[in-house]
Amino acid sequence: MNATLQPMVRISGACKTFHAGTINEVRPMRGIDLEIAEGSFVIVLGGNGSGKSTLLNAIAGSFLLDAGRIELDGRDVTAWPEYRRASLIGRVFQNPFSGTAPTMTIAENFSLAAKRGLMRGLGWAPSRRLRDELRERVFELKMGLEDRMDTAIGSLSGGQRQALTLLMATWLRPRLLLLDEHTAALDPKSADQVIALTDRIVTRERLTTLMVTHSMQQAVNLGDRIVMMHKGQVLHDFSATQKRRLRVDDLLACFEDIRRRELLDESAAEMLQGQYV
Amino acid sequence: MTLLIGALTLGAILALLALGVYISFRIFAIADITVDGSLTFGAAVTGILLVKYGVNPLLATGAGFVAGMLAGTVSGILQTRFRINPLLAGILVMTALYSVNLHVMGRSNIPFLGAVTLSSYCERIGHHLFGAAAIDLAGWEVSATDLTVLLLMGLLVGLTALALWAFFRTDLGTAMRASGDNPQMVEALGGNVQRYRVFGLALSNGLVGLAGSLWAQYQNFADAQMGIGMVVWGLASVIIGEALTAAPSIGYAIAGAIIGSVLFRQLVAIALSFGLNPNDLKLVTAAFVFVALVLPDFLAKYGARANRRPA
Ligand SMILES: Nc1ncnc2c1ncn2[C@@H]1O[C@H](COP(=O)(O)OP(=O)(O)OP(=O)(O)O)[C@@H](O)[C@H]1O
Ligand SMILES: [Mg+2]
Repeated sequence: MNATLQPMVRISGACKTFHAGTINEVRPMRGIDLEIAEGSFVIVLGGNGSGKSTLLNAIAGSFLLDAGRIELDGRDVTAWPEYRRASLIGRVFQNPFSGTAPTMTIAENFSLAAKRGLMRGLGWAPSRRLRDELRERVFELKMGLEDRMDTAIGSLSGGQRQALTLLMATWLRPRLLLLDEHTAALDPKSADQVIALTDRIVTRERLTTLMVTHSMQQAVNLGDRIVMMHKGQVLHDFSATQKRRLRVDDLLACFEDIRRRELLDESAAEMLQGQYV
Repeated sequence: MTLLIGALTLGAILALLALGVYISFRIFAIADITVDGSLTFGAAVTGILLVKYGVNPLLATGAGFVAGMLAGTVSGILQTRFRINPLLAGILVMTALYSVNLHVMGRSNIPFLGAVTLSSYCERIGHHLFGAAAIDLAGWEVSATDLTVLLLMGLLVGLTALALWAFFRTDLGTAMRASGDNPQMVEALGGNVQRYRVFGLALSNGLVGLAGSLWAQYQNFADAQMGIGMVVWGLASVIIGEALTAAPSIGYAIAGAIIGSVLFRQLVAIALSFGLNPNDLKLVTAAFVFVALVLPDFLAKYGARANRRPA
């Protein structure tokens, strides 16, 4: 679109090392640069341990970077704690248990979501108005939950919980929506339902979205850009035009390529070791 | 009858302790030993204000609440800002408070003789209300003062419970409850979990300090030892309450903690009157809480085994 438009997300030189200086040292972020335009729906792919979740956690503020900078909506949030960044970010986790407070009712959970990033005062929760609006929006899910507003959310199925968590994350329009394999723990039918809902909400609200997935099908069908990660770096970046031509096979070939390169790395390392040790 | 009224009154006063323990133990899932120190702290601060400075009893009682909140705040900050294990943080604050309490009181025990306390208020109100020093209650002679104290404590506990119930249903209170349930989610929704925890512990220990303040005025002295083991007492009350109400809703839980406290105090009074050595009281209380904590698991395991046995 407009090149002068400020990106919604700008990450530059982001580095993170966990357990530095121990044998457990891992470096899931090795100088990541990434810009995401407003309204863009980015799919993040990559093998296990390539740093996808870490990238999302870094943006959300679950930990602070060792080096580098994160800007959200033009604001430098690098030093902001997680709860403060929540005013700009909506999140759905992989684990259906992570996104909701299990012993509290559906209505109470949404009363929390309705105050994301706002001052929480002594107003009644959930308010009458929220209840009415909630009934309407939960009815749209077609899961038959609209009459169960006062049921503990922990008694619902994983699919129902993820759908509700998605609705909660987007109840107040977030500047950025982070989805980390939010359908990975679901059975295929529930996963399809939640993906359809994701597509509907993201498209309707034109949300800037970052979605991690292991499903090539989802990667090809959804979104307008694919970022492929490997060993804490962005390896490939397919734009909307490239992505339109992309098929599942192309992506699989990409992965195969990564795998071969890794084998090469290892054998090269072995060879070097053989020579020098 | 006097015995019954006494037990009811103490049960009501200690219901405030039970409510405090409910907040830390059930909402934030912390066994907060600060309680042992903050109960005495509330009593000590109220006591010294009444005896040495002749402060208005209502103010002195409020000061007991504030003292407890202070203790809870320190415990909360140790747990959050300094990342100290909650159990250890509680032990540290409790231990430190032991010295603080001795300093506040100047010695290990201060009698309230002659000081104007809430009990003296009750005496006057009792006279007003009933027009005599003693009245006839279903054939029993009851001191008007004792009855007034009981009524007033009942009223106070009722109001406190109502206020707590309402608070935990506001936006702030709901977020605090959720932060015990799923802190990750609360952070993701913009709640400052650490601040909620500090505030929760302050509120919890404030109630405990208030209980200590009222208890001291009821028994007419404050003592450096009076808080020992009281967290276990609170736990016992909360567990009894849960067994009785068995509902996860906050209203039932609050009511349960109060009923549990009153009931537990009755049980203790009965046991004592049947010859239980007062020295064994803490042992029995601890054993009771132990059994109540392991019994559900034990029953589940035993039940499962019994079910698996071929018919
Ligand atoms: N908070 C943390 N503390 C320590 N190590 C971490 C932490 N977060 C991530 N890691 C490590 O960083 C590496 C990258 O993990 P990450 O979860 O980002 O991978 P991923 O790409 O999401 O993988 P997957 O597809 O399995 O979800 C892993 O080795 C992981 O153990
Ligand atoms: Mg992951």
